[in-house]
Amino acid sequence: MWRMASESRRSQLLRGVLDLCLLAVMAEGPAYGYEMTRRLRDRGLAIVGEGSIYPLLGRLERDGLVETYRAASEGGPPRKYYRPSDAGRLALALGVSEWRAARDAVDAVLAPVEVEVAT
Amino acid sequence: MSEFVEQCRREWRRLGVPHPLAEEMAADLSSDLNDAEAEGVSAHEFLGSSYLDPRSFAASWAAERGIVPEQPGRERNRRGRPVLVAFTAIAALTLIVAALLLATGEPKLTIRTSRPPDALAPLPPKIGGQVVSTSAAAPVEWILLVLAIAALAFAAWLWSSWGRSRPAAA
Repeated sequence: MWRMASESRRSQLLRGVLDLCLLAVMAEGPAYGYEMTRRLRDRGLAIVGEGSIYPLLGRLERDGLVETYRAASEGGPPRKYYRPSDAGRLALALGVSEWRAARDAVDAVLAPVEVEVAT
Repeated sequence: MSEFVEQCRREWRRLGVPHPLAEEMAADLSSDLNDAEAEGVSAHEFLGSSYLDPRSFAASWAAERGIVPEQPGRERNRRGRPVLVAFTAIAALTLIVAALLLATGEPKLTIRTSRPPDALAPLPPKIGGQVVSTSAAAPVEWILLVLAIAALAFAAWLWSSWGRSRPAAA
């Protein structure tokens, strides 16, 4: 029960910033869909249970926050690569600023709480 | 895995997604699923809960890309909400005004209807040398109050219907 509630909270938290995370990993270098999830996973951010990234990538594309092009992948078929547009870089900068402000405010509230987890 | 892609294709066809775009999305999805499998990541792990509902997944992806028209119900709800808010606000304001007018004492607004001249009717009485015409007066405050209550009840019913018909958030 507690584990389910915890996963639900994590899912909700991630849902609010997943677009920023995608913009951030593609800002490191153009990437196709699975490559983005790999980069996120390498940082400990598994997408399991969050739904697919494809609708979100579609929304970013529709809103003009990413540019796309097709190119051959290493030893594989041509893939659709994504990279942030100028508007996407601006959205990323603003979003990161908002995230940090929110994170600091929440930290200020939660910092005094002593956490004890029974093992 | 390929069955998942096939179900997506069928859904895109049903939704009227242009064939080249549907094939492009299917090819990207298929390639990504192959990559995931090669790394030992199952399709369920890669796609999360979307794996269990390929039709919703395909529809959501196409809708977010803006390559299928928005569902009529969603569009109607989106347009209808501001109108409903305005209607409710006007009804509530009318109710408040009518209540205030009634609370401040004698009705100050009346509908005055002059009785048409009637040849057979007796002449109006003379008071102090002036003719006082008879009239029927209806308190507009009460009419406004009743109308506002009826409008608010109607608005409540509309809100209830709107809430039931609203599609679940993606």
